[in-house]
Amino acid sequence: MVQFHEHIVTDLLDDPTGGLVILSSGLSIPKLLSSLLLLHDPSQGTLLLLQPPNLSSLKSHLHHLLPDLNIPEISADLPHHHRLSLYSSANVCFVTSRILIVDLLTQRIPTSKIGGLVILHAHSLTETATEAFIARILKSFNRNVCIRAFSDKPHAMVSGFAKTERIMKSLYIKRLHLWPRFQVYVSQDLERDPPVVVDVRVPMTKYMVGIQKAIIEVMDACLKEMRKTNKVDVEDLTVENGLFKSFDEIVRRQLDPIWHTLGKKTKQLVSDLKTLRKLLDYLVRYDAVSYLKYLDTLRVSESFRSVWIFAESSYKIFDYAKKRVYHFVRADGTQLNALKSKSVTGRKRKYKEDGNDKDGATGSSSATESNGIFLEEVLEHTPKWKVLREILKEIEDGRQKQALLGEEVLAIGDNDDGGIVLVACKDERSCMQLEECIMNSPEKVMRAEWEKYLLSKVELRGKVEQHSLQRPQKKKPNPKGFGILDGVVPISPAQNTEASSINKQEQEVLLAAATEIRKQGKKDYVVEDSSQPKVGTRTLGRGRGRRSKKGASNAGGPGSEDNIDNKAAELATSAIEEQTDAIDPAVVTNHNEGSLKAAPLEKGVLRKHTLESDSSRIRNAKGLPPIHFYALEKDQPILDILKPSAIIVYHPDMTFVREIEIYKAENPSKRLKVYFLFYEASSEVQKFEASIRKENGAFESLIRQKSSMMIPVDQDGHCLGLNSSLEQQTSSSQNSITRKAGGRKEAEKEMQVIVDMREFMSSLPNVLHQKGMRIIPVTLEVGDYILSPFICVERKSIQDLFMSFTSGRLYHQVETMVRYYRIPVLLIEFSQDKSFSFLSAGDIGDDVTPNSIISKLSLLVIHFPRLRIIWSRSLHATAEIFASLKANQDEPDESKAIRVGVPSEEGIVENDVRAENYNTSAVEFLRRLPGVTDSNYRAIMDGCKSLAELALLPLDKLAELMGGQKSARTLRDFLDAKYPTLL
Amino acid sequence: AVASSNQSRNAILVSHRQKGNPLLKHIRNARWAFADIVCDYLLGQSSCALYLSLRYHLLHPDYLYYRIRELQKNFKLRIVLCHVDVEDVVKPLLEVTKTALLHDCTLLCAWSLEECGRYLETIKVYENKPADLIQGQMDTDYQSRLNHALTTIRHVNKTDVITLGSTFGSLSNIMDASMEDLARCPGIGERKVKRLYDTFHEPFKRVV
Repeated sequence: MVQFHEHIVTDLLDDPTGGLVILSSGLSIPKLLSSLLLLHDPSQGTLLLLQPPNLSSLKSHLHHLLPDLNIPEISADLPHHHRLSLYSSANVCFVTSRILIVDLLTQRIPTSKIGGLVILHAHSLTETATEAFIARILKSFNRNVCIRAFSDKPHAMVSGFAKTERIMKSLYIKRLHLWPRFQVYVSQDLERDPPVVVDVRVPMTKYMVGIQKAIIEVMDACLKEMRKTNKVDVEDLTVENGLFKSFDEIVRRQLDPIWHTLGKKTKQLVSDLKTLRKLLDYLVRYDAVSYLKYLDTLRVSESFRSVWIFAESSYKIFDYAKKRVYHFVRADGTQLNALKSKSVTGRKRKYKEDGNDKDGATGSSSATESNGIFLEEVLEHTPKWKVLREILKEIEDGRQKQALLGEEVLAIGDNDDGGIVLVACKDERSCMQLEECIMNSPEKVMRAEWEKYLLSKVELRGKVEQHSLQRPQKKKPNPKGFGILDGVVPISPAQNTEASSINKQEQEVLLAAATEIRKQGKKDYVVEDSSQPKVGTRTLGRGRGRRSKKGASNAGGPGSEDNIDNKAAELATSAIEEQTDAIDPAVVTNHNEGSLKAAPLEKGVLRKHTLESDSSRIRNAKGLPPIHFYALEKDQPILDILKPSAIIVYHPDMTFVREIEIYKAENPSKRLKVYFLFYEASSEVQKFEASIRKENGAFESLIRQKSSMMIPVDQDGHCLGLNSSLEQQTSSSQNSITRKAGGRKEAEKEMQVIVDMREFMSSLPNVLHQKGMRIIPVTLEVGDYILSPFICVERKSIQDLFMSFTSGRLYHQVETMVRYYRIPVLLIEFSQDKSFSFLSAGDIGDDVTPNSIISKLSLLVIHFPRLRIIWSRSLHATAEIFASLKANQDEPDESKAIRVGVPSEEGIVENDVRAENYNTSAVEFLRRLPGVTDSNYRAIMDGCKSLAELALLPLDKLAELMGGQKSARTLRDFLDAKYPTLL
Repeated sequence: AVASSNQSRNAILVSHRQKGNPLLKHIRNARWAFADIVCDYLLGQSSCALYLSLRYHLLHPDYLYYRIRELQKNFKLRIVLCHVDVEDVVKPLLEVTKTALLHDCTLLCAWSLEECGRYLETIKVYENKPADLIQGQMDTDYQSRLNHALTTIRHVNKTDVITLGSTFGSLSNIMDASMEDLARCPGIGERKVKRLYDTFHEPFKRVV
């Protein structure tokens, strides 16, 4: 806790009815939450925490802050009485909004015992969200419920018109607390004793600069095209905005209302800009080979539709990316032969020699295909790698110097957990790679990536050769992408043919190189295998050192310079090793256990920490300090756990910077040095700076909004009190008067609608409830909403409609509805802010085409003449239509509705929360596999536990489960089929 | 007489009431002819359509009901083709929806005369067409089927499918991959890794 945290909490507690806190990202919501939880008193009633999307990371933060507090989770697995006891326990519990709303609607919650509700992702709410629904029902039963909401994404709170104000109203919150980083208290606290910061600017390589320039050019071109459409506000269309994910939202928000009327090209531009942003991001995150691989996959998956791939500068992206990895050289045959005759070891040595000066390419795995083209590996290193190593060395040197100055200082300093250096990167992938880089050598990492790259090609190729007949067919569809990819712009037809013949040769060379590596790879495996046991005996306990040792012996090819260093270091340290071993592991294991206890039982974390002990070993071999690699996306309380004394921010990130600031402010006595690694003049720098600017801008706008907010003082009064149902009745009967044209009269009784559990993801149940209907949540096998014993409704948003036509799902849903209900209804629901039409007149075309939505709907109607269709303008319109359809109908029967369409062996449904009990995405996945049908998928699920298990089942077991050899074979073949080649 | 009955079977028959409806000039993919019929458009032996402009409905709210009553029970498929030609649609559309639904008519909405015409044409042209177009028979080649299955997992796109396929070599290998291996794939971030892994490794049924 820093002082301003206490400020925030006292401010918030000031108002017992609740409040909304928006703070700068990285200022640690978990810390606020933990002190709220500490201050929670059972006399206030149960405190419900709505599960945020990043639950596991929140839990690990909380666990670290409050190790004694065990917060139970109310999940669907808990039997009813358990849930009830948790709801009335007067303690703190986590609960998902879906379960909470269902339990509220079925009145299984003692609402008088609920004291408060905490929402941690306020930015993702809308007025009609389930959370707002929950707030309304809670408040209607128990006026004193205190609702507190948090958000650390200010920019998301300013999207859309008066979003914050509307969210506050829908949550019955009166007070808004803004805590930007530039707030006086915050900046005072954080800047009192700032950490030492070293800003390292790493120059990018020539090709990286080239790629970045090209991407920006293409991006700019796409933006210009976009401007021409005149559909998006020109001010938003800047390259800087384009760097952020939120750009998609900006564009989508403006285009959504007219999305259906947009031409293909505009839609494509939107998705192209997204792709380009990724490319720019990966450029600074991935190594040269992985980047090329990603481009390759992009080419295959995008080449037909994309605009950008055919843009002028795009070929440069592909060209440079390739040149960072390899290039082809024409040479005379003799030279090739000479090279070829060299043995494997020779090849290796050559590479190592040249690997030291990076630009020097090596004539290594020269493949000798026709016309004397051969392959030169470049394998450009990531520039930050070297810098990282230098910094680590510098840190260690500094420490040793200090150690020399005074040995006592060393002893204290070392025990003062000062040892660990934290390297923070964006993703897990970079962590693993950097770790290998430091543990072994960059050369080795690049080589491994390169071999993997080639192998993936040759393995696939092997399969293609088996079906060599298929190959020409496969190749045909995308010759266009090839020319550009390989850096040859198809200008004239003549050149084009020549180019493609070169391409072919080049590819053959690549494949030959890959084949060689595969052969060699097999040998290597043998060698490694035999060496392993020996290594194992040499290492002390737990096989910890094995990794680094193995690495060393691997790299120890004859004559590699790097390894001589290594060996020397190893020799030199081996004597010391024994001593340090005695001290060091103790320190490390301490950390380890501490962090294990602190971290929740999340696999990823565990693994990371075991790696940590590995990496601490590196220090012995290479004269580096103990290092921990941490992926920012994991969002763990890593600083508090590890207490590092030096932090290397490998991928700068605003949130993490704040976390460091807080860590420093909490530990003012600790010496902390922070290194930032930026690529000079890169999009990375630009993005980092822009993110800060954007956040400040968002706060300024929020401050303005706050000053002019119209929040009713009697939020509580105007919300539904005990007389809620009465109010509802009167308001709905007033409505019916205004609609008297129809001559109807509202039924006196309360209307009921049976709603499928899964529908609580949407806002319709909320709106129906607002209309005064009673919502009965159950799990339905057939339909989404049951309005009466006869009327069953399947609801489709426009996007769902298109998708479920393609998948055939809609057909089957309608089929079953028609079987069981007298009036089966398809509800096509447009969204309020999008256009109310399928197609613009221009899109209709001249002919009847099978892919048009008109054709599909017509077919559906022809095949199900009893199907009724409701076309609804919006959620609210739907609610009105439902009400008017129900007017003269009986109320639906809950117990009947549940049983409809459920196969007889499951006739009685015990627990009505079945949707929660299934791994829905796994079930959906399963049902889409070939050979799996509506009739056998249940048996499969009964017979095997998970998809991973299914993947390993032998044919006869499958046949048993699926009730037939044929379908079992279809499935097995599909699972085992070799993935076709990229080339 | 034979010729004309043949012709009438292959053509949309149009009621004389519809004379002068500009919609007629948008029926170009099917023949049509005027005839003495109760409905507005006779689209097949047992399917018919009534045309309703929402603007007209606002002036004559009872019109639709009387027209539907006239149809009696002679048709299996009774379509109300609603031309949405007003701005404020919610109220009139509600009335039309209710009338159609409670009197066994299928409501189709169209936003232009071209679209109205296209519905009539399509229903005529597809009169005897099987439903496989909407039954989800997707392409049966390997890549499409793989896409179809893997893209059920949220946030996984076609590029990712290719990445996964070329990295692991087969679907069973993908399904068996460790979190670490998944994380090594370019373009597959933390969230996707977790989604993929959970889909494959969490049991189908959560409650044991």
